[in-house]
Amino acid sequence: MLTFTLRRLSLFVFTMLVLTMLSFSLSFLFPGDTVINHSGQINASAEELAELNKSYHMDQSIISQYGAYLKHILNGDFGLSAVNQSSISHDILKLLPATIELSLVALLIAMLIGIPLGFVAAIYHNKIADSAILSLAMLGYSIPVFWLGLLAILFFSIGLGWLPSSGQISLLFEIKFVTGIQLIDILLSDSPYKWQAFRDASLHIILPACVIAVAPATIFIRLSRASMIDVLASSYIRAARAKGLNFRQIIFRHATRNALIQIIRHVGLQFANLVTIAMVTEVIFSWPGIGRWLIESIYQRDYSAIQSGLLVLSCFIFIIHILIDFIYAGLNPLARGNKYGS
Amino acid sequence: MNLLDIRNLSIELDTPSGRVFAVDRISLSIKESEVRGLVGESGSGKSLLAQAIMGVLQPKWHVHADRFHWRGIDLLRLTIAERKALLCRDIAMIFQEPMSCLDPTTLVGEQLSEAIDRTQLTGNFWQRKKQRKEAVIRLLHKVGIQKHSQCMKSYPHQLTEALCQRVMIAIALAGRPILLIADEPTAAMESTNQGQIFRLLANLNQFKNMSILLISHDLENLTNWTHNITVMYSGQFVEAGTTEQIFNHPMHPYTQALVGSSTKANLQVPTKSRLMTLPGSIPILQHLPIGCRLGPRCPRAQKTCVEVPDVSNFHGHKVSCHFPLIKEPRKKSSIKYKVDSGAN
Repeated sequence: MLTFTLRRLSLFVFTMLVLTMLSFSLSFLFPGDTVINHSGQINASAEELAELNKSYHMDQSIISQYGAYLKHILNGDFGLSAVNQSSISHDILKLLPATIELSLVALLIAMLIGIPLGFVAAIYHNKIADSAILSLAMLGYSIPVFWLGLLAILFFSIGLGWLPSSGQISLLFEIKFVTGIQLIDILLSDSPYKWQAFRDASLHIILPACVIAVAPATIFIRLSRASMIDVLASSYIRAARAKGLNFRQIIFRHATRNALIQIIRHVGLQFANLVTIAMVTEVIFSWPGIGRWLIESIYQRDYSAIQSGLLVLSCFIFIIHILIDFIYAGLNPLARGNKYGS
Repeated sequence: MNLLDIRNLSIELDTPSGRVFAVDRISLSIKESEVRGLVGESGSGKSLLAQAIMGVLQPKWHVHADRFHWRGIDLLRLTIAERKALLCRDIAMIFQEPMSCLDPTTLVGEQLSEAIDRTQLTGNFWQRKKQRKEAVIRLLHKVGIQKHSQCMKSYPHQLTEALCQRVMIAIALAGRPILLIADEPTAAMESTNQGQIFRLLANLNQFKNMSILLISHDLENLTNWTHNITVMYSGQFVEAGTTEQIFNHPMHPYTQALVGSSTKANLQVPTKSRLMTLPGSIPILQHLPIGCRLGPRCPRAQKTCVEVPDVSNFHGHKVSCHFPLIKEPRKKSSIKYKVDSGAN
């Protein structure tokens, strides 16, 4: 397990190196002066500019420039936003947790709905339940998320009035910023209206999270259906049947775990897709997350913000990837050995 | 009395070009404490037959039988659930490639303990866990695994193929079966391990009085361990009799070819000469010949062979051929004589 961890860590370090290289090169590719793209200080005076040139090693070789850039990033200095001259790292720290919260809740919903449905479809393979679930999945996969979001607001918020249409929590509640993940912050706070606030925040997250979850859930349905069909046709299931186990025992003791293992690997891959959907959804539901912030920066040609936003988001996705790899290794005894290079 | 008595069991497969008889009216009977061999080339329907007996075939296969008796009980009259309960209690099966037949993500100990029936355990629920563990250890000792705690804590991929097969046998023994169906238990195994597994099966037969249906493509190896042998070809019954009858006095041209192609029976054949084989290869399921399926390959085939021959019985030696080899062939000794004289 130690080797496995070291392997993943080294993979993480090298991927991050490549990502920073990419974001470093963006400063050269974006229009404008490189050092201003790095720092975002558009109104810098001559002295400040000289200072910046020195701190980013602009007079030295490109490798040394990259080193200086890396140093800035490791110190948490992403520069200033070109639009309002606020610190980008501060913005990111404030906004990223909201995105993490939203995307993780959406992932949870997608898995909780998609995987069992896929299993049910596989168990009733080639029967009515199977085709019904599959056509449902096809439908869910084909609906574009921006349209679905608007439709959901129209139906549940405006039509039925069940759920709020935008924001993270009602303005009535004042929650102190601790982790940034709203639901955890509420539980940590000692406000007398804690549970009302919790209820309100949960109501706010349901609609955007469900809208995000639709497309990944349909993919999980197909994945889990395919892997369950595979597992049910395998020889150890036949052997378990010959052993005299009944159907429920076979499904819960043997089939589910083996099918889950194959799905877990794909969850990491689907997560990148999910974050993309989350960015669009954040705009629709005016969720104060990094996705909305990034899209706004793109509109405003805020190059330093785009650059660091991309870096942070891809880092987040990669960390989730690695976490899922660990879960996979925990579930699958075959992956724990280091027989195969990865 | 016969333990298992099957008459005219057919297994059909739905294909795009209509139903195909993968197994065509096979009869099989097993007596108590008998080791019965079932021999045939790969694809001759041996494994299908075994799985049909156990009732673990995929739903795309259709099974019919004229008679299916288990210890005098007519299984065809029972409902599927009753039949399954009865068979799972009395018959156990081990498969080829044991590694793939054990759940790769569950510990061997757990897989063993879930095979132990609740009715075997006495005492209250808090004692059951310990009893289960003891039963598992006993089972592992029974199949000759001494390091029981190490074995129980491993995953199937951490054990060798032969150990996995022993674990499979232990799982099969957990239900205290009367009949054990061994479907190529030593496929893809080294010969030393093969010997171990076969000896273990022979011991179980002798000391526990367990009947065994041993399925193999390797007639030569099988003859050391079986009392009686049934030969199949391409899903049809060929010949059945005692091991001695089948091996030394085969009556069916196919069996004769099978015996003739094995090296042990032909020790007198000169070096580097060709072994006797039949021309052609086993027909694929979509293009089965009518009548006797050996017909196109058979050296003795005649016009009547386009009809399926009836089974004729010669003192317990059953053969399904229009032109059985009644007289013992003396060809081999004459060849040897010729070669010897030629060398001199």
